[in-house]
Amino acid sequence: MLELVDFGKSYDGVNAIQNVSFNVNEDEYLTLLGPSGSGKTVLLRLIAGLDRPDTGRIILNGQDITTMPTHLRGIGFVQQKYALFPHMSVRQNISFGLINHHSSPIRDEKKVNYLCDEMLDIVGLSGLADRGVGQISGGQKQRVSLARTLVTKPKLCLLDEPLGALDANLRERMTVELRDIRTTLGVSFIHVTGNEDEALGMGDRMIVLDKGCVIQIEEPNKLFAMPASVKVARHVNSYNILSGSTENNSFVFADYKLPMAAYAKSAAFYVVGIDKVTIEKVGSVKRKAKDITSFEAKFVDAEFMGSRVVYQFELADGQIFEVERHLSRETPVDYKAGEVRCLSWKAADVLAFASDGGLINENAKIRGTV
Amino acid sequence: MHHLVKARWALAAFTALFLIFLYGPFVVMGILSFQQGPEGGPQFPIIEWSTYWYEHVVGIAPASRIAPLPVGEALIRSLTLAFATMIVSTILGTMTAQAFRTKFKGSGFVFYLVVLGMMVPGVLLGLGMSLVAHQFGIDRNWWSTAFVLHVVYTFPFAFLVMLAIFNRFDSSVEEASLALGVSPRRTFQKVTFPIIFPGILSAMLFAFTLSYDEFPRTLFTGGSEVTMPLAIYGTFSVEIHPNLFAFGVLTTLFSFALLSVYAILMGLSARRLSVRSTGIQEDAA
Repeated sequence: MLELVDFGKSYDGVNAIQNVSFNVNEDEYLTLLGPSGSGKTVLLRLIAGLDRPDTGRIILNGQDITTMPTHLRGIGFVQQKYALFPHMSVRQNISFGLINHHSSPIRDEKKVNYLCDEMLDIVGLSGLADRGVGQISGGQKQRVSLARTLVTKPKLCLLDEPLGALDANLRERMTVELRDIRTTLGVSFIHVTGNEDEALGMGDRMIVLDKGCVIQIEEPNKLFAMPASVKVARHVNSYNILSGSTENNSFVFADYKLPMAAYAKSAAFYVVGIDKVTIEKVGSVKRKAKDITSFEAKFVDAEFMGSRVVYQFELADGQIFEVERHLSRETPVDYKAGEVRCLSWKAADVLAFASDGGLINENAKIRGTV
Repeated sequence: MHHLVKARWALAAFTALFLIFLYGPFVVMGILSFQQGPEGGPQFPIIEWSTYWYEHVVGIAPASRIAPLPVGEALIRSLTLAFATMIVSTILGTMTAQAFRTKFKGSGFVFYLVVLGMMVPGVLLGLGMSLVAHQFGIDRNWWSTAFVLHVVYTFPFAFLVMLAIFNRFDSSVEEASLALGVSPRRTFQKVTFPIIFPGILSAMLFAFTLSYDEFPRTLFTGGSEVTMPLAIYGTFSVEIHPNLFAFGVLTTLFSFALLSVYAILMGLSARRLSVRSTGIQEDAA
């Protein structure tokens, strides 16, 4: 439906976006994960036509819209800070795009009100139609901003960190609501976020953006289970990444020597999911067990996150190694700071990456180096 | 603590003095405008309180040897000129400020070029304009040559006011409107204009008042049909009567009325904005 071909944009000689190519399918929820400064907002502005790309083309339903002005594109854009019209009520904000559309404005007041009420109902704001936009909360503003865009039935809707400014409670509710709203209307969404949980949890597919480049496009569960590169693993923020080198089927880093599968002869990164690790007493793990890897580390701190606890351990070289335990499976354990524990995980859960950052696949297909 | 109180008193006294200097002339003029007429002169003491000079200005006083002020037509000319200048300067100023919202090559140079109009001494500009007009055989009139100079003079003020307004303006609402499929023209009408309207009012007020009592530029380029400031100046050369003061009081009252209209419009639009939102720029809640 939407196709970006080799997009690039630089500001004052600094590349904000380069060689970005991807498709958006009909009726798809696409999330785009990137830290601040990775060019997320720039990319959305380019797609919306608020900025012109230096290179590349953008094709919407077979039509090249690279130079088409914003208002002719039919792409909705929900901005990060809502950008509600301050001099209008909630209803006026939502009906604005219907009444003032460049080619097909709706002049029938009844119809406008009907569409408006319908959209208010969908976003759960019925009864607030006549409020001023200064008299509603942040989450409600967010929904007005969304409703204002969706009521014009855009072909594609861009959302710039739509949940960024909301408190945790509201964020969780909006997460579900956004997906429901999208399913109801059948509009494709590109949802940009810096939060990996959001990107993984909401997208049908997700894109990881790093320094203006797309580094992986994949379904979230696949991407999470098998990041294409160390960078992706870093962005997903759920992996311990150890860097070292591989010698004779063992991975050497700092003082540690960890067994490494035979297929990963050139591994430079040893990556294990933070939720794959178990914490045990020193000496209780059978070191000889073939499929279990373990080492000892000093406990530093624990972060209680409600349904889970993230424990931080310090390795010999000072690096922090994280372990996430879900409380639905076990009760939290209090460790003393400085206490040494044995951390273990299955050898099968280990991902190996080559020195260029590419994943070394078990089927001996080495990415990036071939 | 003690010397702080002292400093406060000193500042209060200074402020009071300042206000006396500011409004003293007007108060004196106001008092003298109630001088007895037609014999009473433009000086203290007041012989007898009367409204004779007001009647004289309006033209309902019994005939006397003192000629009526030649300001009737001049006033209409001045108001017309100020009004036209206000409209043109505000439109130009808004458009120029709009252009300056995007950085363009040489924007710094153009900025100084625009602002120069208010820096150049009016007398010189007036003289230069009259020379140019003479050279090209153009008649000098209040509605042609003087009007052009009034615009040149007031336009930078309108421009600076609008520039400040646009500096505070959050353009994301315009982008939101465009993304909703609304044309740039209609976006300006329905989104930009209502939000910057208080600024436009200020620019209009500036342009109007500056043009209304402009003197040096008009002196050289206004031709034979004088505007009000020139007409008043002209009466000085004959003989001053308190009718001038009465006229001064009346025009000042008119200015106050104008300011009140401005204040009311500002208040209305500010209230509309503050009821609808907490400000132009929404902070993340």
